[in-house]
Amino acid sequence: MEEILRMEHITKKFGEFYANKDINLDVQKGEVHTLLGENGAGKSTLMNILFGLYQPTDGQIYLHGKRVAIDSPATAVKLGIGMVHQHFMLVEAMTVFENIILGDRNTRGIFIDKDARRKEILELSARYGLDVELDKPITDIAVGAQQRVEILKALYRGAELLVLDEPTAALTDMEVEGLFRIMKKLTGEGKSIIFISHKMREVLHISDRITILRAGETVKTLNRGETTGEELANLMIGRELAPSHYEKVSESREPVIALSQVDYHKQSKHNGLNGVTLRVGRGEILGIAGVDGNGQSQLAQLVTGVIAPEGGTVDLKGSKVATFSPNGFISENVSHIPEDRNKMGLVGNMSVMENIVLKETDDPQFSDAKGWHLKKRAIRAYAEKMQQKYDIRCQSVLQEARNLSGGNQQKVILARELENEPDLLVAVHPTRGLDIGATRFVHDTMIAARDKGCGVLLISADFDEILEMSDRIVVMFEGAVMGEYSGINPPIDQISLAMAGK
Amino acid sequence: MDMSFVTNLLLASVRMATPLIFVSLAELYSQRAGLTNIGLEGLATIGSLVGFMVSLLTKSPLLGVLAGMMAGILVNMIFAYATITLCAEQIVYGMAINIFAPALAAFIYRIYFGSGSELVQVKLMSTLANAMGITPGNFFTKLLLDQTFMVYLAYALVVFTAVYFNRTKSGLNYKAVGEYPKAAATLGIDVIKTKYLASVICGALAGIGGAYITTCYTTTYVDGNIAGRGFIALAAVIFGRWSAGGVLLACLFFGFFDALQIRLQVASFGLPYQFFQMIPYVATVVVLALIGMKKAGPKSCGKPYRKEER
Amino acid sequence: MNKNKLFSVLVPLVSVLLAFLIGCVIMAVLKANPATALGALWKGAFGTKRNVGTTLARSTPLIFTSLCACFAYRCGVFNLGGEGQFLMGSIACCYVATQSGITGLPGIVLCLAAGALAGGLWAAVPGLLKIYRGQNEMIISIMLNYVATLFMGVVYTNWLREGSVPQTMSVPNEVKLTRLFGLRCTSAFIIAVVIGLLIYYFLFYTSMGFQLRAVGLNMTASEFNGFSVKKYILFSFLFSGVIAGIGGSAELLGTQFRLINGFGAGYGFDGVAMALIAQLHPLAAILVAIFFAALRVGSTTMQAATGVPTSVSEIIQALVIVFTVAGLALVKLPEFKAFLERLFPARKEA
Repeated sequence: MEEILRMEHITKKFGEFYANKDINLDVQKGEVHTLLGENGAGKSTLMNILFGLYQPTDGQIYLHGKRVAIDSPATAVKLGIGMVHQHFMLVEAMTVFENIILGDRNTRGIFIDKDARRKEILELSARYGLDVELDKPITDIAVGAQQRVEILKALYRGAELLVLDEPTAALTDMEVEGLFRIMKKLTGEGKSIIFISHKMREVLHISDRITILRAGETVKTLNRGETTGEELANLMIGRELAPSHYEKVSESREPVIALSQVDYHKQSKHNGLNGVTLRVGRGEILGIAGVDGNGQSQLAQLVTGVIAPEGGTVDLKGSKVATFSPNGFISENVSHIPEDRNKMGLVGNMSVMENIVLKETDDPQFSDAKGWHLKKRAIRAYAEKMQQKYDIRCQSVLQEARNLSGGNQQKVILARELENEPDLLVAVHPTRGLDIGATRFVHDTMIAARDKGCGVLLISADFDEILEMSDRIVVMFEGAVMGEYSGINPPIDQISLAMAGK
Repeated sequence: MDMSFVTNLLLASVRMATPLIFVSLAELYSQRAGLTNIGLEGLATIGSLVGFMVSLLTKSPLLGVLAGMMAGILVNMIFAYATITLCAEQIVYGMAINIFAPALAAFIYRIYFGSGSELVQVKLMSTLANAMGITPGNFFTKLLLDQTFMVYLAYALVVFTAVYFNRTKSGLNYKAVGEYPKAAATLGIDVIKTKYLASVICGALAGIGGAYITTCYTTTYVDGNIAGRGFIALAAVIFGRWSAGGVLLACLFFGFFDALQIRLQVASFGLPYQFFQMIPYVATVVVLALIGMKKAGPKSCGKPYRKEER
Repeated sequence: MNKNKLFSVLVPLVSVLLAFLIGCVIMAVLKANPATALGALWKGAFGTKRNVGTTLARSTPLIFTSLCACFAYRCGVFNLGGEGQFLMGSIACCYVATQSGITGLPGIVLCLAAGALAGGLWAAVPGLLKIYRGQNEMIISIMLNYVATLFMGVVYTNWLREGSVPQTMSVPNEVKLTRLFGLRCTSAFIIAVVIGLLIYYFLFYTSMGFQLRAVGLNMTASEFNGFSVKKYILFSFLFSGVIAGIGGSAELLGTQFRLINGFGAGYGFDGVAMALIAQLHPLAAILVAIFFAALRVGSTTMQAATGVPTSVSEIIQALVIVFTVAGLALVKLPEFKAFLERLFPARKEA
């Protein structure tokens, strides 16, 4: 075995915070080396250091045994490091071909020598089984294909070491299999891969070695054959993984919302709904499982009135919805924790206080004369009460919401959406990017709302979250419902198959 | 309506389109690097004044154009520094330029010429036909030969721009900066440098466009002589769908209306002449209203770019 | 101490200082004594009761157009058409004043109402095109400025022309606005300030104003939270046009009395500049407008006393906007915040 990369004692401080602390990592030629860790464990920071986006506060990097200083992505590329970011770095308005040759410095001449470049790319793509359609714009190809373009891009630049940052997050099981085939082929040809993931099943399947990071530090490096999923999970979280401790409810109840044969942009596999029928009862959590981009966003927007269906009916609390508007749903006591809290949930430049009362300034509690005079003192007192109750950590309720951490931003939204005891709560990826403490808080709050009789529609790409929280589970694939399962002892294998469209 | 009306109209359209082409290309280069610059009117104004003064002093309209170009670059460097380095809002800063540059032009004019009312006039750039000493007779010789150097330059620039953005590696990289600067940066493209370069080109072309007015079109400088061309150019870039060819067509289209209004004014029809003068502006509104705005154009326009450190 | 608020006052003040500094250099280059010139400038603007009146009179239309810009920007729409709306307001007002024959207070109210309506309608065009055609409101509203200017030309050269000079007839004495204390400043100034106060109250003390600001800061979140974004956009356009329209009418009835070439020219963009310097705060906008008016009024005295041309004051005004906008961006940069922290190590961690 020949060592490709060694990172020694890597430390990265942001202010007083250690994102990486004394991390060691080595990668051999031809291996898949997995970096395993929770959100915020320091995986991305470490990889951004390797790719020259961040400079380490301390520590050394060796490539092929030689010490290197990587001061920019350009240097990293020159040294043979390629990175496929979790959010693809593809220019959507350009074609696959243009994306691959972008920033090219290896060839001479002012003009693009299309024929020669195409030949090179096609050779590469044949060699590694990376089939792509060169002349299609990026917007017209599927996520899996976009990922192949990213890998081709790295290989075209002569990458010997490839970093794949959570490459399976947005893929179906089929596409994941395809990716794994490509990874095998790459390592077979002597390339090395750093694979970042937190999906145990995949990690155990594809890795040669696994390095676990926790809270910015290296925990351990293990060989695949010598470990189990359970051990990895425990190492990753740092304690025994507690099983779901929420009581599930099973009896069927009167529906708060019921969708019947609902269509929206039916033809679109990724952004539409196709004959969706489902209902959410009072006092239960219905979990929507599925890979991101199978119509979940549209479902969420539909049941909060942001978009209107093109076919089918929606019954809200027993009566058919005639006009769809967010305002109409809000006045029917529907609450929404939207998928993108900064874009859809909060007005970042307004204060925590203003965001807490955002929807209710017309309420007599907060204004006189039908909204023509705001009771500033009452608003502030209320906001401070909510700050206590929902444990929102901020300097004062006058602080701008955009300066809060993700967890505290989400708590601001919870305070606004849950305090007036909604009949229906639509929660989309409610714990995405949150640490364990905040996640637990959000989950507890949602369960408490359920127990008070609120119907909860939980949409999440985090399968574990769905399993832990849901009383019933519905799987969505390409805009359609694939099946419905009980949340008590759910058939995990069946559900994963359904998520892949089988 | 006789033939000469039509041919004269077409010839005038070409002439009227020329300053618009320069200014629109300026915006195209700016937006392709992710900078929406609404300060074109101001840039053209300062270019127009400096062009006027230098061609008056040197008796060379060409030197005037060069000086106008330099003035445009200089003023646009303020915009570049504020929006690229300080990350000021592009729209807001563009407005600041629209207020600052005309004030600067008016100031220089007053200081230099005093507030006397007598009009100072310059000699305009001569056409190719004039320089060659021939009098063009028919429509085609007029179209091809009876034009100033600036007209040929404008069309050459359109061709150059089309080739640059569609055929060259550098042009592809340039476009990537406007679409997805972060991705461009990971490929080793210097985003900040490209944006500054874009600002230099934008200032230069807008300055030339302004200088055209005082070196090739009217013999004197008056405040407000750009008359909204900087804003019509913005519309032309949208109408031309961010491509050099499209922008050329859009400029010819707007140039046509400009030419038309002048011809109609002469013809009068008993209507107040101001109604004819409205035509280019109304046409711009109507065109924009008709084409609608499918979210198009370079994606990163208006957004500041920062190398992200936490 | 709230740093953001401190900076929002400090940046414009430093910008004014810098602009004056450059102004002084220019004066020195023009061989005038800056101290004398600035003294003359001050005297011209505020030296006598009469001059104060003139300054306030000059500030009145500027207050209207800057409030117009403020109001629209608060809702996130860039209404650059303040000038066109101002002119259309004054044209409608001119018609009612000269043609209707209604006089006295009802006449004045009717004139102002006509101006408000015309301004609002003129602003509705870019507003509607933005909502229904997704069109760029900036370009449209600017194009309409040119159309309005030309249309006013039709009015004073043709339709309402009086005699051989291209100008309209004067509005009757009975609808002219009363002067305050016999100064040049009229009740229009009072109207402007009252509108400014009303806007301030509306934006910060009513539920609707609150929602309008939310729409301006984050349209998507506002939509998700049940606000009718389109209605607010249209409303903010309409109302900002109404403000400009009243401004045009008040300028006609209070100061100019007739439409003539150059009426209202440049007020639209001036308003935008002032709104930006005031950071969209309506009360600050009034102060900034008075400051700009003072520079303009005072510069005439300065020219007479020291020979420094009035355009020096225009350069100072332009520099204030250039510096303020850049300065406001500067203080938001992380690098600047880090620099401040090094300069003044935090006394206590918040």
